[in-house]
Amino acid sequence: MKGALFRRRLRRGLRHMRSALTVKMTLLYGALFVAIMGMSLYATRNAIDHYADRTVRQEMAIGSALFARMATLQFRQLDQSATVLASDFGFRTAVGTSDAPTIASALDSLKRRFGIDHALFVSVDGALAGDTDMLTETESSQLYDALDSGRRQGIVGWRGQSHMVAAAPVRAPMLTGWVVFSRNMGPKELAQLAQLSAVDLNPRLLPVAALPAGLRTTKSDDITTREWRRGSDDMLVQARPVENLVPSAPRMLVLEYSLTDAMAAYAPILNALLAFGLIGTLLALWGAFVMSRNLARPIIALESAARKVSSGEHAQVKVETRDEIGRLARSFNRMVNAVEMRERQIAHMAFHDGLTGLANRTLLREQIALYHQRAGKEGFALFCLDLDNFKAVNDTLGHPVGDALLCDVAARLAQTCPAGFVARLGGDEFALLVDDGAGHADQIGRAIVNSLAQPFHVNGHRIVAGASVGIALAPQDGADATMLLKNADLALYRAKQDGKGSHRFFEPAMDAEAQARRAMEVDLHDALRNGELELHFQPLFGLSQNRVTAFEALLRWNHPVRGMVSPLQFIPLAEETGLIIPIGEWVIHEACRVAASWPDHIRIAVNVSPVQFRSSTLNSIVLQGLARSGLDPQRLELEITESLFIDNVEATLASLHSLRTLGVRVALDDFGTGYSSLSYLRSFPFDKLKIDRSFIVDLLAHEGATAIIRAITTLADALGMETTAEGVENSDQLDILRAQGCGQIQGYFFSKPIPAGDVAQLLQKLDQDRRAA
Amino acid sequence: MRNLSFLILAGMATLLGSPASHAGDIDLKIVDAAGRPVSNAVVTVRPAGGVPDGPIRFPWGTTMVQENVAFSPHVLIVPVGATVRFPNHDKVRHHVYSFSKPARFEIKLFGKDETRSYTFKTAGAVALGCNIHDQMSGFIKVVDTPFAAKSGADGQVRIPRLAAGTAQVTIWHPLMKARNNEQLLLVPVPGNGSVSRNISVALRTSP
Repeated sequence: MKGALFRRRLRRGLRHMRSALTVKMTLLYGALFVAIMGMSLYATRNAIDHYADRTVRQEMAIGSALFARMATLQFRQLDQSATVLASDFGFRTAVGTSDAPTIASALDSLKRRFGIDHALFVSVDGALAGDTDMLTETESSQLYDALDSGRRQGIVGWRGQSHMVAAAPVRAPMLTGWVVFSRNMGPKELAQLAQLSAVDLNPRLLPVAALPAGLRTTKSDDITTREWRRGSDDMLVQARPVENLVPSAPRMLVLEYSLTDAMAAYAPILNALLAFGLIGTLLALWGAFVMSRNLARPIIALESAARKVSSGEHAQVKVETRDEIGRLARSFNRMVNAVEMRERQIAHMAFHDGLTGLANRTLLREQIALYHQRAGKEGFALFCLDLDNFKAVNDTLGHPVGDALLCDVAARLAQTCPAGFVARLGGDEFALLVDDGAGHADQIGRAIVNSLAQPFHVNGHRIVAGASVGIALAPQDGADATMLLKNADLALYRAKQDGKGSHRFFEPAMDAEAQARRAMEVDLHDALRNGELELHFQPLFGLSQNRVTAFEALLRWNHPVRGMVSPLQFIPLAEETGLIIPIGEWVIHEACRVAASWPDHIRIAVNVSPVQFRSSTLNSIVLQGLARSGLDPQRLELEITESLFIDNVEATLASLHSLRTLGVRVALDDFGTGYSSLSYLRSFPFDKLKIDRSFIVDLLAHEGATAIIRAITTLADALGMETTAEGVENSDQLDILRAQGCGQIQGYFFSKPIPAGDVAQLLQKLDQDRRAA
Repeated sequence: MRNLSFLILAGMATLLGSPASHAGDIDLKIVDAAGRPVSNAVVTVRPAGGVPDGPIRFPWGTTMVQENVAFSPHVLIVPVGATVRFPNHDKVRHHVYSFSKPARFEIKLFGKDETRSYTFKTAGAVALGCNIHDQMSGFIKVVDTPFAAKSGADGQVRIPRLAAGTAQVTIWHPLMKARNNEQLLLVPVPGNGSVSRNISVALRTSP
């Protein structure tokens, strides 16, 4: 329990610490300040050190100069006193007469008069008088030697004490001796000198011999300033030369000063500086910490907000400042909002149709799943609908009008069934989901058909769209969205097949039929590969030539299980699935190959499906077929139907002309049944018109039929086109056709379609018949 | 008068005695430590066999003149008992004194053309000074031998007609660094001819 609490605290502490920026900045500024303070302290200490050192040296120089000045003055005073005494006739008399008591008293008297510490008389023969007991024998003889060698003043040490000495010779008239006056130069006297300088230099006159060993020089007259440091106290000691009376026992003026003491005077400054430094450092640390924390906090907030946003949550940061970080926070918030808005847009786009704003297939499926979940006993109904004439609208009036129409359809659907959920599945396909709609689905279906049958007014165009509706009911027609949609689609397909503008309910049989279609589609796909397709050829007989002029290639499918499958069954399927393209290609190639072996005057006619005709590959397939077989293009006749002209006359004409440039012939199949506009006959010079079998069948039943044949042949002749009558089954028909000027006949009367292998035989037989006739 | 006859007698005796006993000369050259000739060095000789009895007289007289605020001559050799006259030829007055042991005296303030005299009864060196003029310095060397002379500017001094044998020669100079400013040496005097010596003496640089 306690451990857990501790861990939690530790974790919280670490999280604070994780703001490494704060720590870094605090440490950096702290370290910088400490460094600056350290340097400043060091520099100050150094400067003080230097200053103190220089001051001490200056003081020492001053002290030494003072000493020199004082010495000069005192030497002069002593010398004057000594000279006065030495030249006094009475004294000279006393000296001349060796009157010792008189000499002593004279010395004493003058000593007192001038305030001199000691007085001596040194006779020229070395005898001393006066204060003789203040110096030793050695010092006496040193004194004599100094005087004898002409020295007159200087510092001298007597019995360990320093003295300032001046001597004056006594002449009577010859040199008889010297009057020697001295002043004490002990620490006490020098201390008075010290009072004149700012610092206590503790001046002393010391024998050179007493100085530290390393500083002594062997040459006694080599007396220059010397300096050394002493002990832990860091004493600066200077020994300065003075005028010595006895060169063999020189003394120096020694000045010393404790640099430590000198520094101690500055200690308060340093201490204050140190204290300020410490306080400053603490302040700097605190300031850096506060500043960096203020800096880091919004960054941490941004980071955690960014983390939230990346995990899909909505997050905004508080804008606290107007600086760069504040701007960043504002930008971040704006960015989050923009991202979320775009997300919503994308989500909307993912689930909605961009044009109409309706739900798309995905959303519809979700909705279906939702309905499934909450469907009551009554269930719900799915309506799939498809506009009947949308493609024509798009092609003739253009896409903008088509799009506008779709929007109007969407609006009308919503209006027709306000309670329903409307979706656009793509193109002109819509779906409507109605909860609890199973009961009156029929009614709704009819309502939709009726509603969409009403004309639309789009951009000034009056459009009758029309719609077919397929209905699937849940749950019985599908337990999930996929199944339900598929079944509604099947119902729609049925509605379309059964004539447009109606509605159909899904029935299980539809599913079976659809599956059968699917199976045949698969089989057809394999048929080409497995060689189940073959061509049969039906001859076209030229009446004027009295011989076979051409064969029409007809496709047959011999399925190993299904047996012979009717072209009426599989050709539409092939066209629907697009398989007609490869199959058509095979047909052209095969027909050309077979025809190449026939006599040159016999042509081959091949049917071209509208789907095939519209594909861009037809030209190249024809070229390949011709090239591969070596067939003369003039012997290939492509048969097309009138229905090609319904959709796009211009494009159809362009394609026909490009085919014509290949040199192949073009025939119009099933003439007279479909669109039957004569304008395109004028637009394109077909090589042949094939008169539909329905007219031939009518020949014997209706009087007018002959007139129509007559009209067609006359028209064809006038336009320079051949004519072929299809479906000729008896000789009566043949007679009429011949009488009406028809060029060729085709039909069972002459020959049914035969396999390629039988062609040669047929031709041979016909040849024999002709010769026999 | 008595003095004069004594002098003549002594001279005759000297002249007469010379062929009978052997006699030689001493030639000295007095130089200082640097080898420069030293003048005013007084050489006195006590020949082997001692100093002959009789009065002593020197040809340079016994007068110490004060002239141009100086004693002239600077050094005067007189025999013991001689009375030296101190004529003042200066316009200023002088106060001649001596604290030297052989003759301590004072001749106080006598003016121009005044003459004082003093009789020197003891042999030795007498330093003369003037209490008025400290720079005045003169010396009277009182000797008890006839064989005495002072060196000239060339430092030469000749003592003639000395009895053969070892003679005690004393050299005195006012600045000599020695006890009583003199030094003693023994010189063998030949029976005939002369003996020459170079004598180096140490002098004080200043008085």
